[in-house]
Amino acid sequence: MAQDPLQQTYDAIVVGSGATGGWAAKRLSEAGLKVALLEAGRAVTGREFTEHMPSFQLKYRNHSPEVMRTRPIQRQCYACMEYNYEWFVNDLENPYSTPPDRPFTWQRLRILGGRSLVWGRQSYRLSDVDFKAASRDGYDVDWPFSYSDLAPFYDIVENYVGISGAPEKNEMLPDGQFLPPMKMSCGEIRLRDSVKKTFGRTVTIGRTAIVTQPHNGRAPCHYCGPCERGCMTYSYFSSPFTTVKDALKTGNCTLITDAIVSHVDMDVSANKARGVTFVNRTTKETKHVRGKTVVLCAQALESTRILLNSSTQEYPKGLGNSSGLLGHYLMDHVVGGSASATFEDMQASPSANPPHRPNGIYLVRFRNTPAEGKHPHFIRGYGFQGGSMPDFNMDAAGIGADYKKAVKRGVYGVSLGAFGESLANLDNFCEIDPNLKDAWGIPALRISMAHGKNEAALMRDAAITGAEMLEAAGAKDIRLTTGTEMPGMAIHEVGTARMGNDPKKSVLDPFCRSHDVSNLLVTDGSGFVSSACQNPTLTMMAITVRACDHLVERFKRNEV
Amino acid sequence: MDFPVQVTQASSAHSQAHQTSLSRRDLIRAALLSAAASVLGPSFSLAQAIESGLTPAARGEDGAAYLTDPHWKAAFLNDHQNETLIALSDVIIPATDTSGAKAALVNRYLDLLISVQPSEFQQEFLAALKFIDSESQAQLGKEFLELSLEDQTWLLKPWAYTQQSSHWTERNDPHAQPADLAQQHFHRLKTLIAAAYYGSEIGQKELGWDGEFTHGPYEGCEHSDATHS
Repeated sequence: MAQDPLQQTYDAIVVGSGATGGWAAKRLSEAGLKVALLEAGRAVTGREFTEHMPSFQLKYRNHSPEVMRTRPIQRQCYACMEYNYEWFVNDLENPYSTPPDRPFTWQRLRILGGRSLVWGRQSYRLSDVDFKAASRDGYDVDWPFSYSDLAPFYDIVENYVGISGAPEKNEMLPDGQFLPPMKMSCGEIRLRDSVKKTFGRTVTIGRTAIVTQPHNGRAPCHYCGPCERGCMTYSYFSSPFTTVKDALKTGNCTLITDAIVSHVDMDVSANKARGVTFVNRTTKETKHVRGKTVVLCAQALESTRILLNSSTQEYPKGLGNSSGLLGHYLMDHVVGGSASATFEDMQASPSANPPHRPNGIYLVRFRNTPAEGKHPHFIRGYGFQGGSMPDFNMDAAGIGADYKKAVKRGVYGVSLGAFGESLANLDNFCEIDPNLKDAWGIPALRISMAHGKNEAALMRDAAITGAEMLEAAGAKDIRLTTGTEMPGMAIHEVGTARMGNDPKKSVLDPFCRSHDVSNLLVTDGSGFVSSACQNPTLTMMAITVRACDHLVERFKRNEV
Repeated sequence: MDFPVQVTQASSAHSQAHQTSLSRRDLIRAALLSAAASVLGPSFSLAQAIESGLTPAARGEDGAAYLTDPHWKAAFLNDHQNETLIALSDVIIPATDTSGAKAALVNRYLDLLISVQPSEFQQEFLAALKFIDSESQAQLGKEFLELSLEDQTWLLKPWAYTQQSSHWTERNDPHAQPADLAQQHFHRLKTLIAAAYYGSEIGQKELGWDGEFTHGPYEGCEHSDATHS
């Protein structure tokens, strides 16, 4: 008879089963450690995927009142749909607050795999221009490690996950271990060539965590399109069907679902974490699980919430918060600057039966580069994601048979949307709201963040350069957006428990270990020192593997 | 390819669906809050847990069956509004060599859609529909439904194209409806009708959809010269 999973003492308790938690569970259990993997939501199976269901079979065709009622915040994310909304948290059960003038949208999933089920899959390395940005422009501090320290772990992650992409030899965006790249459309090649010739900038096919050839038992992409509704061939990377599966296969990992962790339990006399307390999602019973180490991978804001809710007499402002910086330096890529247009001279001829490429193009950061030098109006930079595809033109003028024909003639659109660096700022933070609890009685967060002048200048510049590049490529009818969207919209939130060498100026050490509590790690996006402008998940996974390998070494040396 | 999950703390197979204590007003407020890009206040934290499980889509339910139900009744529109919408949608997207808006049950889908929208959206929709009738009365002396197809087309067509401002018409006809207001009303209706039509199975087939979901790998540009022609 199996032992009660809650009566054991594990070597490591991993909290969260998403992109980073899956890696932590895999890496630690494959090294022989006994691991408990806690997930706040339920398990998931491929049977509930809906990627091949036409939208006309949805009663409300993606305007379900149930989604509007129960996910008024989550549905601000394009991936929260009538198809899959149950994967996202119910906003009624999971409140948080913000100051009235500082709105923040917090997108969360509580289900095995977390946001890796619906993520955008874009996977880019950071470079030393990012890790040592402060040394170049004097703003804030450098990361406590260099690109060369992380590069081997990027390799490990990419080789396992399967990243399709093309090498570009661009110092702003290091090349990685790539599977064959997806192809570009005519419009994209036209833009790429024009941008290179006129501006010397790099447009590349999106580097995406989708396998384009058989890889680690997963079949290549079948180009149906909507990855965020699941994938019957598991071609895009999501943790339940890869890392978590591997972890369970070792026999060293126990998965505990429906476990909403409220706080870390401390052995006060030893100044060590001794486990975590969780509330069962369905029964609302409080339970404990014991471990020699605790690894938080619940995503930046949620992991920080757990630490803030773990205050003790010794750590009255939150566990591991002797620096007073826990919760601060919250970042989320600024979005809102964009340009779109039409290639009027290109025959659109859209097809209703195309292979749907679940990927776009990427325009590599070109502002404040070592080659270009300092921009007069802002520091750091932005990259563009975009694409150019023929499409049906529902906006065609006219009525009647002429309108039906015009719709089918289509339009060859092209668009570029910027993702800009969000500067680390002490005044962007989260804390516990003393008057707000979730449906399980766990104190909820108050999030206070706003983008500043530098972010606004990045988006204004992005609209201008975007328009210039589309113009140069011969596109017409150029339309811009120049604003900054509310923080949280990029769903790239990082920071709140920054890494560093100085315990007075950082929360975590360079291996994601709490400066204050030596057997407590946070290996999700919490530790980011800066946000750079590249999508963060690949870097989070690499940091997790590096931290876990370091932890395994400490176990081997009996230091835990 | 089911995934063998070892669940040790499984939830009970079917948790009870709880009634929430939220009033309709609260729900509308929640919708407005989200439109204002805000977050939910403390009062919502008391909401009872709602059964977490699978969406109707993940359970494999075909939601389209609602529209073809022989006992279908409008959820929001009255008979006149419904008939006007059918006529309007069929002028904008008529049957040609393929089926049009009427066959695609555009009116039924829009009735359902609008029935669950915030009241501001509902009022805008009704105002646009009413505008069509009042313009029809003003210009042709009849309600839209009573017009011949030719007259219906004659009424709608000017609103369906981008109009340029003209000093001549503005000076000569001070009683004319401002073109932008008329176009706003018409554009609102046309956009909804087009979305409802092309979002239906009939509309998808009109665009040429073959009913399959995969069509081989994406091959991209296959041109050898830079003109891509």
